[in-house]
Amino acid sequence: MSFREKSAWLMALLLTGAGLYYVHLVRGASQALGETAPPVVVIAFILLLVNGAVVAQTVLALSLRKEAAAPADERERLVQQRAGSWSGLVLATLAVVSLGHFMIRGDGNMLFHLVLASLIVAQIAEHGFQILLFRRSV
Amino acid sequence: MGRPPPITNRVRELRELHGQMSQAALAEAIGVTRQTVIAIEQGRYSPSLESSFRIARVFGVGLEDVFGWEG
Repeated sequence: MSFREKSAWLMALLLTGAGLYYVHLVRGASQALGETAPPVVVIAFILLLVNGAVVAQTVLALSLRKEAAAPADERERLVQQRAGSWSGLVLATLAVVSLGHFMIRGDGNMLFHLVLASLIVAQIAEHGFQILLFRRSV
Repeated sequence: MGRPPPITNRVRELRELHGQMSQAALAEAIGVTRQTVIAIEQGRYSPSLESSFRIARVFGVGLEDVFGWEG
């Protein structure tokens, strides 16, 4: 397994865990408040997620220094481009769904959570597509 | 995605003819990862023209001695 595939697995797993925790966090806070939790509830979560991703990538890069230092080759670049393109479609679709929800319900806090969740899902999809393409024909 | 490209290659055969050259050594010689060499050998990836020429040069043969069109 190449460094970039390992990195994709790591990020997919990290983001899936973070996404599930995010849903749990917002649902719990919303139930306690009796309305959709405001964005301020997840600021700590966002900082933790960003720092967690940086730490995880740094640990992986340090454990595989030679592979991490090498630039992506032509196949890896193609995989990254295709996965990025497909995940862009996922993000666009989820963003439209989020906006549709806002138009119907008019809940700005929920719009924030849906857009943030869309970003997380699109990132998971990007890493998932990368893993798929690394293992299939490109 | 999924359908292998209709290009055949003799990379594995040529590698074995060149003193059992390892996939890692070939990858190093042409500037790609070992996983990309594996994907080329398995027909899951068609290399760029530049990498194709690099592979042919490593083995000291012509491009058509390495790659062919299926069928």
